[in-house]
Amino acid sequence: MTASTSGHPLSGRAAIVGIGETGYVRGADETVLEMVLGASMAAIRDAGLTPADIDGILPPPGFVAWDEIAAHLGIPDVRYTSTPQMGGASPTAALTTAMMAIASGVAETILVPIGWNGYSALRPRPDAKPSKRRFSAAFFETVRNYYGPYGLRSAPWWYSLYLQRYVELYDVPPEAPGAVAVAARKHAQLRPNALMHGRAMTMDDYLASPYITEPLRKFDCCVETDCAAAVVVTSAERARDLPHRPVLLLGGAEGHANPAHELTNRADVLDLGLSRAAPRAFEMAGVTARDMDFLQIYDCFTHVVLLQLEALGLAERGGAPDLVKGGALELGGAYPLNTAGGMLSQGHCWGLNLVVEAARQLRHDAGDAQVHGAELGLVTGYGDLGDGSIVILGRG
Amino acid sequence: MSTADKQIPRPAELDLEFFQAATSTGELHVQKCADCSDHHHPPRLYCPRCFSDRYVFEKVSGRGTVYSYTVSHFTTEKAWKDEVPWATIVVQLDEGPRLVGTARGIDPGAIRIGLPVRVVTETVTDDFAYLWVEADAGAEPEKTGNERAEEAR
Ligand SMILES: [Zn+2]
Repeated sequence: MTASTSGHPLSGRAAIVGIGETGYVRGADETVLEMVLGASMAAIRDAGLTPADIDGILPPPGFVAWDEIAAHLGIPDVRYTSTPQMGGASPTAALTTAMMAIASGVAETILVPIGWNGYSALRPRPDAKPSKRRFSAAFFETVRNYYGPYGLRSAPWWYSLYLQRYVELYDVPPEAPGAVAVAARKHAQLRPNALMHGRAMTMDDYLASPYITEPLRKFDCCVETDCAAAVVVTSAERARDLPHRPVLLLGGAEGHANPAHELTNRADVLDLGLSRAAPRAFEMAGVTARDMDFLQIYDCFTHVVLLQLEALGLAERGGAPDLVKGGALELGGAYPLNTAGGMLSQGHCWGLNLVVEAARQLRHDAGDAQVHGAELGLVTGYGDLGDGSIVILGRG
Repeated sequence: MSTADKQIPRPAELDLEFFQAATSTGELHVQKCADCSDHHHPPRLYCPRCFSDRYVFEKVSGRGTVYSYTVSHFTTEKAWKDEVPWATIVVQLDEGPRLVGTARGIDPGAIRIGLPVRVVTETVTDDFAYLWVEADAGAEPEKTGNERAEEAR
């Protein structure tokens, strides 16, 4: 049992009590809405509840709105809803919003869902039902005017604009991002629902993978998948009466680089939103990154994981390549990372799959991937042009 | 390399003012605060330094250095398939702001942080100017990070 020791009024007041996820596939049979509802219903049932118990919904930006979720699930009385506008950082940021809503009494039991057709939006199956779901965000205007004309159409090309500076200034060897990719792939072999289950990858495989846009190789990039996930959060008091061991929200924060809407004009382009969020979350929880039994880090790209390890305070700027040597990120190492394979090898579910896996670890229900005796862990989010979010979780 | 078939945007609002300052004169302009003289990009309605809402778009030389870059070896865009590998450069302008543009006449393998470069505009439509980044022949080459490290050894 990990109680909050920080004395912060939000710390330890809410808990994740239900988790749900679909498979991580390319070419789903279901629409995005069907996947989101399926994962949501699975999470509600896992919590031992029904939709009538849900009184708050914090959906992701872009794809599905709270009102259609409420209508289709038959949630009769929604007391609170809001949507973080932070791309992939949104689901983890929503957990902090849930802590605030629950601790203040605005809502008691909150659903945080996400899902998308990350693979099929661009490559629909011939027999697929028509779908109009497309992600859009305000920063797309920056992309259209200032990156798109130069052939920089999506995230790998945008982020490479600052990641190359990291690699050149700090002499980051390819084996460092490679260690992130290899650890994720190794862990995916322990999760049958991972897209890359059954497809092992060595460091030599990684080093042989072609560049997409330097410094990013093919195997530095996460896998586009169709998938959905959801979690249910309620008060720590109510959590005690529910079927699973509660997973307490001990700390949470978001942070944003300045300016947030454009990547290249920041005083320090390597300064992530997480650099600001992490100290706030650790202070709220009364712990440090070194107290964590595992790390679930938003792994859209391997180099972004290295920068987040530094933002968490585990290494100085440029120090992550040394930190990740010798299997440190693998199960049994000092910093077990993304124990279900992460977005690099399980599937890209906007990081909510990382939250689901963190909850499994803290329930001691992670099977062959279980970190023995896990009491504390963290999940980060990274979205749009570097927005950051983080939650610190404890076994209740 | 040319702008043919490339994705040409239709900017709006304040971004349009940035591009029209270039297309109407054929020369690069960036936003400058009319009160504190801070240059910034992309343009903003309030100055991030002094919060003034008074600004002008001022002609700049386009000279600067490579701040960061990427060499792209793969694309899903038809217009870029014949261009690989192409390089995109983030230029640190002498005036302060950074601009993104396509390298032209520079060997992608020779690009390093600190290399002197110059941003040149090409008017594509009334509302959009493409930004090219060329080697700045007139500048004394600044030592790259690697060369500085080499000397330190
Ligand atoms: Zn000013």
